[in-house]
Amino acid sequence: MFERLPLPSQFDRIIVTGTTVVALVGLPILIVLLVLLTAGQISGAELVFWMASAVIVAGALGAVLVPNVVHAALALVATLLGVAAIFLLLATEFIALVQVLVYGGGVVILLLFGLMLTNAADDPVVTDGSQKPFAALVGVLLIGIFAAAALDAEWAGDVANIVPFELFGERLFRDFLVPVIVVAILLDIALTGAFVNARRERVEEPAADEEVRA
Amino acid sequence: MSMEQAWVLPAIPAALFVIIALFNPLIPRRGDFLAVLGMAAVVALVGVILVDFTSAFHDGHFEPVAGENAFSFNWITIGQDFFTIEFSTYVDPITMVMLVVVSFVALMVLVYSVGYMHGEARYGWYFAALSFFVASMLTLVLSGNLIMLYFAWEGVGVASFLLIGFYWERQSAAEAAKKAFITTRIGDVGLLIGIILLWRATGTFDIQQIIAAAQGGEIGETYLTVAMLFLFAGAAGKSAQFPLHVWLPDAMEGPTPVSALIHAATMVVAGVYLVARFSPVFAEVLVARDVVLYTGLITALMAATMGLVSNDIKRVLAYSTVSQLGFMFVALGVGAVTAAMFHLFTHAFFKSLLFLGSGSVIHATHEQEVEELGGLWRKMPVTAATFGIASLALAGIPIFAGFWSKDEILRALFDGGETGAFVVLLATAVLTAIYTTRLFVLTFAGEPRNRQAYDHAHESPLIMAAPLVILATLATVAGFFAIDEVGRALGFAGGIGELVYLEEPHHFSVDWALAGTATAGAVGGVIIGWIFWRGRAERAIAARDWDPALHQLLVNRYYMDNLYQGIINRAIMGLGGVIAWFDKRVVNETGVDGGAQSIGYMGLRLKFLQTGKIPNYALAMAAGVVGLALLAFSS
Amino acid sequence: MIPLENFLLLSAVLFGIGFYGVLARRSAILILISVELMLAGVSINFVAFASYLDPEAFSGLIFALFVITVAAAEVGLALGIVLRIFRERRTANVDAIDELKW
Repeated sequence: MFERLPLPSQFDRIIVTGTTVVALVGLPILIVLLVLLTAGQISGAELVFWMASAVIVAGALGAVLVPNVVHAALALVATLLGVAAIFLLLATEFIALVQVLVYGGGVVILLLFGLMLTNAADDPVVTDGSQKPFAALVGVLLIGIFAAAALDAEWAGDVANIVPFELFGERLFRDFLVPVIVVAILLDIALTGAFVNARRERVEEPAADEEVRA
Repeated sequence: MSMEQAWVLPAIPAALFVIIALFNPLIPRRGDFLAVLGMAAVVALVGVILVDFTSAFHDGHFEPVAGENAFSFNWITIGQDFFTIEFSTYVDPITMVMLVVVSFVALMVLVYSVGYMHGEARYGWYFAALSFFVASMLTLVLSGNLIMLYFAWEGVGVASFLLIGFYWERQSAAEAAKKAFITTRIGDVGLLIGIILLWRATGTFDIQQIIAAAQGGEIGETYLTVAMLFLFAGAAGKSAQFPLHVWLPDAMEGPTPVSALIHAATMVVAGVYLVARFSPVFAEVLVARDVVLYTGLITALMAATMGLVSNDIKRVLAYSTVSQLGFMFVALGVGAVTAAMFHLFTHAFFKSLLFLGSGSVIHATHEQEVEELGGLWRKMPVTAATFGIASLALAGIPIFAGFWSKDEILRALFDGGETGAFVVLLATAVLTAIYTTRLFVLTFAGEPRNRQAYDHAHESPLIMAAPLVILATLATVAGFFAIDEVGRALGFAGGIGELVYLEEPHHFSVDWALAGTATAGAVGGVIIGWIFWRGRAERAIAARDWDPALHQLLVNRYYMDNLYQGIINRAIMGLGGVIAWFDKRVVNETGVDGGAQSIGYMGLRLKFLQTGKIPNYALAMAAGVVGLALLAFSS
Repeated sequence: MIPLENFLLLSAVLFGIGFYGVLARRSAILILISVELMLAGVSINFVAFASYLDPEAFSGLIFALFVITVAAAEVGLALGIVLRIFRERRTANVDAIDELKW
């Protein structure tokens, strides 16, 4: 049964690679952080933040750097989980839950299906474009600009506030009811469109074709 | 129908123009009867207006109830009060004389044309164009402001162009039409400049207001002189005065009735009308008036000498017209508006009669070289008689119309102290008598020189003969309108001197010494003409060979056409060549094509930026975002 | 406490990496993955701002929710398009899709 899927052999490699990455990058960081924590230099929240950050950055780099598309998709999952952790850290459990459910459960699966349907198994490695150096330069410059902007400003708040669940729901479905409905319609249309687009036309109807031309 | 409603007059032929021009294939007889009937209606309405007009006289002065002789509404307003163009008509004695002349001669010519143009291709178009001309001409004489006058002025120019070029299949006709249009256009530009100058000085286009402003001394004298000279340039162009007279002889390429109407009786006197209309202003600037006087004098003499040697029956008449217009300008040049308008009035009848008579001859013989005619009085007694009457009128023989008006002009010169001009004009009058006699004798008297043409000749049909007879009657009696008793008998305050005057009513009287001199000159001229051309051919040849150089000069029209052609060939064509080179090489090839080519070349090179690959575009966008962000940070 | 700047820097890094991916990758699916990274960066930004600076209204959270929703719609639709293209030309390589040029 497992032979039929393209995944098992790759699973092995993923497990091996992932473990290696965690061992080489994650463990030293974890050790350093734990030492700092025990020394009272950082709080537990900060520990979680740095851990999550490490996962996010490593996952993001993996997603954009690894040649194998399946590996990239799995690296994306790691990043998204890290983001969910960040959301939890910011005391917004609901967003974190949605993040995990929608991304982890929906989007990534969709992407994997896409990979499979575009014969990713036959040609899993797609070399990157020739404008890589420029892309790297632009990416670094963007990060620099955003960082400069973030560090340049004086931010008023310094504490992450907890948002009560009930308050959030009230605000979402009372004050933002119309946008929610609009977004729901958008989602509906998008998915219908996706379906129509991706569907295989069974028969070309010549009569309709003629009409369009006329 | 009163003077206020005079705007109806041009409306009738204007409507007929549209109807006949568009629908003449659908109308029986191509609509000629419409044109004739419409014109008859106009004549009738002019008669009605004339009655209203006479009632506006009080103690011999034209004093209509305020505004009753004017009609106006705002046509175009630009800004609050920057610029208002009115549609306005204004009726005064000068207008009235013009209305009578234009409408009556036009009716005669239209009736005559029914016979003359019979069987022509574009028969309907002919009547449409004539209606258009009449509409323009009536608008011209009725208009109370300069803008409307200018429109009508150009309208008659266009009509003249269309009708001179009526036989446009003929190269010479097409060229003559072009020549007439362009030559008069030179004057028209002057007129437009004059109008603009007057508007700048007074802020109005209304003729009466401008005259009042000029008389009130509101305009500087030099400025006014310049403006008047420009105005006169327009008048000189339209009235074929030296040095713009060259177009009128060539305009004889048009159908003969057209020559009778446009190039003898009506359009060419538009210049006289314009100067007469502005005569109070010319009286303020005597330098400009002297220019009018001497221009008229030169033209009168020059044209008369040229008429002496021309062998084309219509060209002789054309030179005669130019010469007689010179007479009118001479009168205006000494401020004798009455004399000028009177001569205009009589001249219109006898000159249109001469043209119509020559038209009958051409119609009958298909020949217009006098060398090929002769002895026609036996075949065409009515034409010969009426032509003879008109010739006598033109020569200035007493009783006939031309005598009275020419005498008025000579007298005005004499009284004005312009003795030199008087002598020249008297000599011109003698020359007039000579060439008129020559023309008549060569055409109608003697033995036929071309037997074929003579045999072919026949008397004109009634529809052509009737206008001749009517006009001949008028050419005989029109002069009597000058006499106060005749005027009163017709219901006017007095003779034409009572109607048209600048300052004081001019009561007609005969200075017997002057009249005797003029009559002696005219009779002498007739006798000279008779001796030289009625007798044996040797005499005519002797006259020609008397001074071959002079004869050559006259035959070649003082080489003025050659001079103009030379100027056009050398200066204008040369300048045109330079401009054409500049336009071709610099503007077109360097500017337009060069710009397009450099853009095209750039496109050819730069199109490779469009790779079609979305990541490239995204990179460019990102680079732009980064650039903008850096720009925002650096500032 | 963790200062706000940390979250902002994290989001900037995530966004920049995602942008790099969008520009550098050739596979349409991988570009989509990179876009998801960018959206995640933006979401972090929203949520961080909302909980640090806007404790009463916390509009940022709602925007983060919308971002997730729209991202889901976008992925669905984009995948549809990618599949379509793939069926037409047997490839999902965006560099091969360059008809829209000179």
